[in-house]
Amino acid sequence: MPIEDVISSKGRVRILRILTEIEELNISEIARRAGLNYATANQHLEALENAGLVRCKRFGRIRIFRFNRENSRARIIKKFIEEWETNK
Amino acid sequence: MYHHFSVFKNESKLDLNYIPTRLPHRKFQRTLLNQFFRFTVENPGEMTQRVLITGNVGTGKTVLSQHFGLDITKEAEKKEINLNYIHVNCRECRGSLFMILQRALLNFHPHFPKRGYSAEEILQILIQILDEQNAYLILAIDELETLIQIGGSDTLYKLTRVQEARLKAPQRLSLICILREPRYLNKLDSSTRSTLQRNIIRLDEYSTSQLQDILKDRVDLAFKHETVSTSTLHFIAELASSENGDARYGIELLWRAGKYADASELSEVSPECVRKAVASVYPLVQKDVVFSLSSHEKLFLLSLARCFKHSKAAYLSMGEAEQAYAVVCEEYNEKKRGHTQLWKYIKELSALGIIKTELSSFGQRGKTTYISLPRVPALDLEQELAKILSTENRRSNTHAD
Ligand SMILES: Nc1ncnc2c1ncn2[C@@H]1O[C@H](COP(=O)(O)OP(=O)(O)O)[C@@H](O)[C@H]1O
Ligand SMILES: [Mg+2]
Repeated sequence: MPIEDVISSKGRVRILRILTEIEELNISEIARRAGLNYATANQHLEALENAGLVRCKRFGRIRIFRFNRENSRARIIKKFIEEWETNK
Repeated sequence: MYHHFSVFKNESKLDLNYIPTRLPHRKFQRTLLNQFFRFTVENPGEMTQRVLITGNVGTGKTVLSQHFGLDITKEAEKKEINLNYIHVNCRECRGSLFMILQRALLNFHPHFPKRGYSAEEILQILIQILDEQNAYLILAIDELETLIQIGGSDTLYKLTRVQEARLKAPQRLSLICILREPRYLNKLDSSTRSTLQRNIIRLDEYSTSQLQDILKDRVDLAFKHETVSTSTLHFIAELASSENGDARYGIELLWRAGKYADASELSEVSPECVRKAVASVYPLVQKDVVFSLSSHEKLFLLSLARCFKHSKAAYLSMGEAEQAYAVVCEEYNEKKRGHTQLWKYIKELSALGIIKTELSSFGQRGKTTYISLPRVPALDLEQELAKILSTENRRSNTHAD
């Protein structure tokens, strides 16, 4: 996914912000906090997962998402957001 | 701002949830617990364990388990073993196995969703998490009565079966069951019951002197130097001992008595503060009981109340009580009753729970009977008695006219 696609979507940036703050979360909660409906949140999360930025873990029927710490781009984006948030 | 002196130096050491570094008189049971769980820091995964702790209220079941939990996880950490101790109270979880397991789950994933999975799934999820993190868990299930009552008898069985179903996988989940009433064991399936009966740690009620040791530790931690005398400490220990050796009650009294000392701006916790504390926990002496005493019993009790009101001592010798009684009789123009009669009063009043007697050799003078006023503040008692006696007096005077 080209960088424009990541950063140009309000929904995706919101999700990334939420995941920097809270280590890991399930879809319903991510959707609720981001103010998105479930299907949209799901789409964004799938896109972010394909880009290697987030990872999904399954527990039975429950899916939990978190930043992909193993991915260097994800780490940089996390840092970038944290920097942005703390020095307003 | 003006700050009055406080008898406390660190009140938090009297918190119910505070875990002291020392547990006097539980050394043996503490060692036993360690032995049962030795394997968790030596060959974790090789086996699991199920242990039962039983004993009356305030015998230290909860604190014993938590103390162990703190130590064993520290030891595991040194050996780089991911051992977790989680303490869950079944009553707080309303007897639901789902909620109990959810507490455990949230320990590993604090933002795990609260809904969307069944009671059957949650156990699988928990085991999956333990596997993924190569973690081991000692789950302490406190006040197990509620789980058995509400969750049913096979809930514990579910917890053990989940291990047995995983034949070659490492064993990750061990249990400490905490139960006040061992008779609840009969409601469990036979295999769980027999395991628990093999690994049982029984806590007996504390004696007065044991309670005194426990309370002494707390006094040193929570109170300033020389604000709680040995006599006051003994008094509280006695009271807790007569409440079935309940250490929690003793600590509660200690704390409340300290609060009353501060409120009265005293530099020391007096026995009267302790009596106020007792009355505030639950008032036991009712006014009608006092009212129904014979008039000389009332006079005798009044004399005791007057002695105790200002005294730093929690105990009064029989001799001192007799003298005080003589003075009060003179004041009320009554002929004092003899020694044997006073003994009867003492027996009667202690049967009613208003006073307590103790045969003791405090001094060098051999055995003497000591009287204490455990439950009512002396001041309240004095005022109450004076009121009743004055109405009685007036009535008998009108008769005489
Ligand atoms: N041996 C002990 N040493 C120090 N404190 C104790 C001891 N036994 C009990 N306590 C304290 O007494 C109170 C009641 O103990 P707790 O473990 O809650 O009893 P139980 O769970 O058996 O009802 C707690 O504040 C606890 O810290
Ligand atoms: Mg308890």
